[in-house]
Amino acid sequence: MRILRGIYEGPGSHGILRVAASMRRVHAVLRAYPSEGGFLALHGAWTHSGEPAPVSLSPIWDRPEESQRPGELARDLSWIARRRPEADALIFARSESALLSGEGAPILAFPENPESDRSPKLVICEWESPNMRELEASDLALMELVRAHTPNQPKSLAPTVNIFGPPIFGPNAAAEVAEVERILGLIGVDVNARVPLGASVDDLSRLTRAWANVVLYREAGESASLYLQDEFGMPRVTTPPVGSVGTGAVVRAVGELCSLDRLQVQRAVWAELARTAKLPWYARLVVPETFRGRRVALFGDFTYTTGLGYTLAREVGFKVAWAGTYLKYLEKDFLFHAATFTDEAFVEDDPQAVAARVEATTPDLLIGTHLEEEIADALGMPFLPLCPPVVEHPFAERPLMGYAGSSIVADAIDGALRAPWELRGEPEPAVSGLSWTDEALEELGEIPAFLRGRARRLAEEHARALNSPEVTPEILEESRS
Amino acid sequence: MTILNESGVPDVVSPLWGLAGLAERLPGALFVVIGTRADVHLAQSLSGFLPGFPADQPYGVIGVHPRVVFMVLEPEEKLASGALASRVVEAADSRRGVGFVLLITCRSVGLLGVDASFEAELSQRRLALPVRAVVPDTGISGFGVLSTSLEDSVIRTLIELCPMGGSEPKEERSYSKGNLFGKLRGQPGRRMSRERSIRRPVILLGALPGPQEELTAELEWVGVEVVGWLPGPDADWLPPIDEEAFVATADPYLTGAYRTTEERGATSIKTLLPIGVDGTARFIQDVAAWTGHGTGESDRARQVWEELEPLRNRIRGKRIFFTGDTGLEVPLARFLANAGAVILEVGTPRLDKRFLAAELAALGEDVDVVESPEWQAQLNRIDAARPDMVVASPGLYVPLVARGHLCRSSLDLLSLGVHGYEGAHRVLELFARTFERAEGLDALNL
Repeated sequence: MRILRGIYEGPGSHGILRVAASMRRVHAVLRAYPSEGGFLALHGAWTHSGEPAPVSLSPIWDRPEESQRPGELARDLSWIARRRPEADALIFARSESALLSGEGAPILAFPENPESDRSPKLVICEWESPNMRELEASDLALMELVRAHTPNQPKSLAPTVNIFGPPIFGPNAAAEVAEVERILGLIGVDVNARVPLGASVDDLSRLTRAWANVVLYREAGESASLYLQDEFGMPRVTTPPVGSVGTGAVVRAVGELCSLDRLQVQRAVWAELARTAKLPWYARLVVPETFRGRRVALFGDFTYTTGLGYTLAREVGFKVAWAGTYLKYLEKDFLFHAATFTDEAFVEDDPQAVAARVEATTPDLLIGTHLEEEIADALGMPFLPLCPPVVEHPFAERPLMGYAGSSIVADAIDGALRAPWELRGEPEPAVSGLSWTDEALEELGEIPAFLRGRARRLAEEHARALNSPEVTPEILEESRS
Repeated sequence: MTILNESGVPDVVSPLWGLAGLAERLPGALFVVIGTRADVHLAQSLSGFLPGFPADQPYGVIGVHPRVVFMVLEPEEKLASGALASRVVEAADSRRGVGFVLLITCRSVGLLGVDASFEAELSQRRLALPVRAVVPDTGISGFGVLSTSLEDSVIRTLIELCPMGGSEPKEERSYSKGNLFGKLRGQPGRRMSRERSIRRPVILLGALPGPQEELTAELEWVGVEVVGWLPGPDADWLPPIDEEAFVATADPYLTGAYRTTEERGATSIKTLLPIGVDGTARFIQDVAAWTGHGTGESDRARQVWEELEPLRNRIRGKRIFFTGDTGLEVPLARFLANAGAVILEVGTPRLDKRFLAAELAALGEDVDVVESPEWQAQLNRIDAARPDMVVASPGLYVPLVARGHLCRSSLDLLSLGVHGYEGAHRVLELFARTFERAEGLDALNL
């Protein structure tokens, strides 16, 4: 039990619903209490999509035995399948409370739907547990869907790959996939299927035609691509295509797997570096002193944190003070990858602990999730919310991956560093002139760590305004109200 | 009026969405949300932007009110009894101005074997502040949760905190536990000393966002002595609620709160809700009658209707559909129908026919109430009927707008302050404004 200011990841069922809502003609059935509704509203708010989320609730409530009310799972499932003739697959998820109350998974096969002449497949996630969190569940749910729908089949004649991108609600999910697809097109590799965003069951059953799997977002594509590797011998590329180095590595790896001519691949990369990728250009334009000694701290998921960390350390020249993730289940991988660009990598899922770390290091730039915005604001430090979860879900998506993404990263860094430098021109109020009484210090210690810096500043300003030689508990209190 | 029970699954957001608004309206309360990751995730994500709801975020990016604390339980963890209480004590101690603590106890808490009321009891003893466990989603009348259920549960808990008094002077009957409650703020200025007669003061129930003062003024104008509102602007003040109390409920979804007052033996004034012109008039008239003042409000109502005439003209004949999720639908539909709109359907996840008896009786003849509607069927009905306006639940708002329907969010109406004569004005204005803007957008040559 912990007191948290917020959480980074939702429960497992939310991850399963995200995967289902990413896909086309896949419907999710959520077994939950009526008071656990909200996915529909969040889906509307975050995707601005006109289609209601493909999620139906099978409510758990006290109902009379013979009642026609929904609530009886098997009947609800059949009813939903009948109501949704367009759904080729139904995936079943249970809310945490449902799992805790011992709700089991249904065993049933659907009769053929008279409207579509098919019987939808029911995908059950046997591994569901109240301990599992959103992203791990989305990863496994995607694997279940893939496993239920992939036959063995001959490879496509021309080289093709599958792209495993972020699921729905991932910021810029569609744009990331589109950008990587564009770049692969430049070396003559077609995309066989994009998973999970926009994929249908038909796309899933086509997966094994491709020559390789390109995993952009390992949080949601790891297990599925590993399954395809184990069962069908499909090789995979797992480098996050963030920054020009990461993107180049992905392009070359795909070229290799598709037996393309190396020189031709390199030419395509050079052309992109000249045309689209502005991050290397930015790094060369800016004088080396700009970044020397400047420390950046990163916190977020796996892909964006490691991808951006590597890019900022190597391609831009920041010192990465630390990098952290909230994904406990990827701890080993994360620590391994983060070690290539920072000395301090950690796993933490308490926003206040992250905030305390930010306050202790006061980096020159903080890259994090929207939960870090509060501390960045409080300390007045440059901040970029580039790692999911983020609250902004803009209409116009902009990729962070690929060559176009590298330019967007360059702009973001430039913009974030510019504004505060102007601010830094102002003289910092002298801190030394003021002493704190012991009681005031004690009281300061009771303020949550992530608010303490700001409280200290305000109190000292207030003391100066009152011409008080020291900060007393009263002054501290007044300055806070 | 016909009532149809569709026995479907309505679109209702978790009652936890309303935490920030409640924290705002209960200045002395610390809300500790106790639940698993799923519950906290809902509370957190729904505190942010919801479709059709004004997107001003006063509480930072995360949108979580400073007086809302999340306590996340791990499913595997075995909690020693009292462990939770210690954290509650810590959380309450580190904050200033906390008058009482509400442990918002999600369903998972019971499933994990934590006894929240015991922990509340324990923290209360250590804090010397009232601490209560509140279950956000108990539907009193059978099935169905409203997105306002948390508000009902919280107010019910406040009623339980109210003293059961003898007949000592009222000032001393306000709650003061270890003197902390009383110390926080000064005694609210109540209008106590009017004539002492058989006339009885009335307590009003409802965490109205704005119109409490308006309604109080209206009631006092006709001579009713208003003890105060629960919850009122002063967090530390609780009126005695017992056999002698006269209670009037201002919100249609406060069914649990209303029953609790009845269980305490208080007299509940059965009347229309003070929503809309006629509702407000009947409310004032009936409250006055019950508390021993005769008054006729019909002149006042007529006058207000006249003032509203220009607005009324703009919504006359408009066809309105309520998908239903807050419980506010029935009285709003009654008012809009009286104002000349055509109500196509009033959806409501649950219907307390006893509590809303007066409201249902006052509904126009051709208004259909659909209890526990199936939201997918509603979408089809809306497509078929093509209403001029849909008052939509947050989940249906975006899909309905995408299908070309003009929508207002039900939550928007909830925070508008629909009560009283002024509220009636605001409601009509909101609808008129929405039609106006839609006409403006439709006129664009895209």
